[in-house]
Amino acid sequence: MPGQALKRERKQFRFPQGYGDNKIVLLARDPWWVFTYWEIRKDREEDIVRKMESEGDSPAKSVLRVYDITNINFNGKNAHSFFDIELKGLANSWYVNVGSPDRSWIVDIGIISKKGNFYLLARSNVIKTPRFGMSDQLDAEWAVPEEDYWKMYSLSGGFGVGKGSLEMREMIKKQLEEQISSERLSSGASFYRKPGERKFWLVVNCELIVYGATEPDAKLTVQGKEIKLRQDGTFTLRFALPDGKQVIPVEATSKDGIDRRRITPIVTRKTD
Amino acid sequence: MLKGYLSIVLHAHLPFIRHPEFADFLEEDWLFEAITETYIPLIKMLDGLVKDKVDYRLTISLSPTLMSMLMDEHLQSKYLKHIDKLIELSAKEIDRTKWEPKFNKLAHMYHSMFWEARRIFADEYKCNLVNAFKRFQDLGGLEVITCCATHGYLPLMEVERQASVRAQVRVAGDMYQKIFGKRTPGIWLPECGYNPGDEEALKKEGIKYFLVDTHGILFGTPRPRFGVFSPYLTKSGVAAYGRDTESSKAVWSAVEGYPGDHNYRDFYRDIGFDLDYDYIKPYINADGVRINTGIKYYKITGNTNNKEPYDPDTARDRAADQAANFMFNREKQVEYLVGQMGDRLPVIVAPYDAELFGHWWYEGPSWLDFLIRKIHYDQKTVALTTPGEYLKKYKKFQVLAPAASSWGYKGYSEVWLEGSNDWVYRHLHKMVERMVEAANTNKHAKGLTLRALNQMAREVLLAQSSDWAFIMKTGSHVPYAVERFREHVEHFTEIYQDVKDGRLDEEYIKHLEDKYNIFPDIDYSVYQT
Repeated sequence: MPGQALKRERKQFRFPQGYGDNKIVLLARDPWWVFTYWEIRKDREEDIVRKMESEGDSPAKSVLRVYDITNINFNGKNAHSFFDIELKGLANSWYVNVGSPDRSWIVDIGIISKKGNFYLLARSNVIKTPRFGMSDQLDAEWAVPEEDYWKMYSLSGGFGVGKGSLEMREMIKKQLEEQISSERLSSGASFYRKPGERKFWLVVNCELIVYGATEPDAKLTVQGKEIKLRQDGTFTLRFALPDGKQVIPVEATSKDGIDRRRITPIVTRKTD
Repeated sequence: MLKGYLSIVLHAHLPFIRHPEFADFLEEDWLFEAITETYIPLIKMLDGLVKDKVDYRLTISLSPTLMSMLMDEHLQSKYLKHIDKLIELSAKEIDRTKWEPKFNKLAHMYHSMFWEARRIFADEYKCNLVNAFKRFQDLGGLEVITCCATHGYLPLMEVERQASVRAQVRVAGDMYQKIFGKRTPGIWLPECGYNPGDEEALKKEGIKYFLVDTHGILFGTPRPRFGVFSPYLTKSGVAAYGRDTESSKAVWSAVEGYPGDHNYRDFYRDIGFDLDYDYIKPYINADGVRINTGIKYYKITGNTNNKEPYDPDTARDRAADQAANFMFNREKQVEYLVGQMGDRLPVIVAPYDAELFGHWWYEGPSWLDFLIRKIHYDQKTVALTTPGEYLKKYKKFQVLAPAASSWGYKGYSEVWLEGSNDWVYRHLHKMVERMVEAANTNKHAKGLTLRALNQMAREVLLAQSSDWAFIMKTGSHVPYAVERFREHVEHFTEIYQDVKDGRLDEEYIKHLEDKYNIFPDIDYSVYQT
């Protein structure tokens, strides 16, 4: 079969609802927030519920259990602390405010029973939230007086970190956002922009079209400038027309130089 | 007397966008605009510096996706068509604006700028601008580095992290080696996104340094002795440089930044939107949607809709003034710092998006040109350097573990992980998991299986571009980003299933190899664990 031009029918691809996995994944968003997404297999959930029932219990609620496992080899029971988040509806992802930088975290998804027992459905990977703030650890080899560290910190812009970094990129982004509303009108327009200030606006410009025809082999000038004729001897010129008077001498000269015609339109634009 | 160094780093990147199936494709214009407005002006600037024998140092990061597009013949020929149309349009504009001298002067300016761009692109560099950057690197002033393979945002690669990061770094390093004939001296981590431990992958590729945002260093452990004014060595020996806030703000800041000067050209007033529809129609998108043409006649003027005509001479003077101001501030900065630095001179690292220069900030390349020349001719306090060069100046550097960070809004991962885009990670992670599985179960693949696995690796990498999540967040071009992401997941999943079922489809693989022809030398075994 290889090399044969057998056209395989391929179905229109859609993102799958799930991959048939039973898992939960944890990502750090910033020093205080983490993001988790999960997929729980129905059979796994049913097994757990059956187990619960065999122990004379029943499910009360689904939760995320978030453990602080900083510097711990976690065995499910030895976390520094944990807290639960009750899951409602059909959520399959969650932003969790853990509130502490530079700590290690794990999240379990599970069911809490009526009797208050926690039944595990899946356990996540370990992540660490980013460090925030200057370290207390000093390097003996590179030690300087305390105030000098702070001086370098300040000179490096340390006191602006996290608040003063509203950048050009953000400005650009904002400008892009302003365009979104009009973009929807004209699908896919790039940078479709309308000026800020107030919504309502009006722009009026004038252009002047000067056109005509002569013998195809004649020489033609408009305002003294030679114009190339089309093959049939016609010509079209387009000008942005500002306020004021425009004198537009159009002059044609025959190929042999004997005949000459001159027509001079005069156009005045005035804007009130 | 020399008191310190300034290292300007420009990061040039665009996602891989190439659609041979369309004669005219809106998002391909991003590349064409950047070529005309940023890359060629920078190349012109470098050329001028070389001709005038100005001793300069500048660092530029070229992302592998951008280099791939610049080297691609299909996109090269499309660029020629693009620039030819602009030449034609600007010629019409010269006639049309005959009675409006201020605009007429600008029409002439654009017309010669487009001709010049065409000449540099086609005649000087034979349509391949990567050659230009290679040339300036070989001449000595420019340090070219690269970025991760597809600008994948490393901190969120939580599943199969080692393999994910290794592939992003190695594929980039190999590509750089092939083009420039040596290892990349440094790497630009996409969005300066740093996750502690990722430097191990850099070390393995022979990379000497990377850049992080200010707080990546300031919040490092142990306490940094020199603030961001010296590189630090991570435990692996790879150096980390931190971004200087003061010099960044001068350029980036929306409030105090140089690009906001009222004499500068207004980005948003473009004849693609301003002129009569029938007149402009042949020069906008083929489906008739108005777009930017690059011809813009107005200056920022102020917070008003009544914009005044742009005057390039005044703007140029402002760029020179601001370059002088920037240099003066750096002199003051290093004069103040030098007393705090013990046995060494401070280095100020000022990284910017390259596309800011010329594309968003039209006068940016002039500003940079003035700055480099002034530093060379007008003073002796500050000298330019590159991160690679500065590392050779001293024998010892403090060892430090940088803190997780990025240069995105708020300093962490929120831009790429929020309501609009967080759904992509479950698919991205699954792809990598499957890629690793397929690579492990098919060791030493040959023939069509090899091609299938290599194409899977390409599709994983392309799906990982941080650009898709970024676009979903910013809200412009969202359908394109979603479709691209969907497409790569689809391609990957289809081949993965075929490999697993042992029923490879050569026609399909060939189709994808042609469609996404990036990284021709990729080796899927980079995903083996």
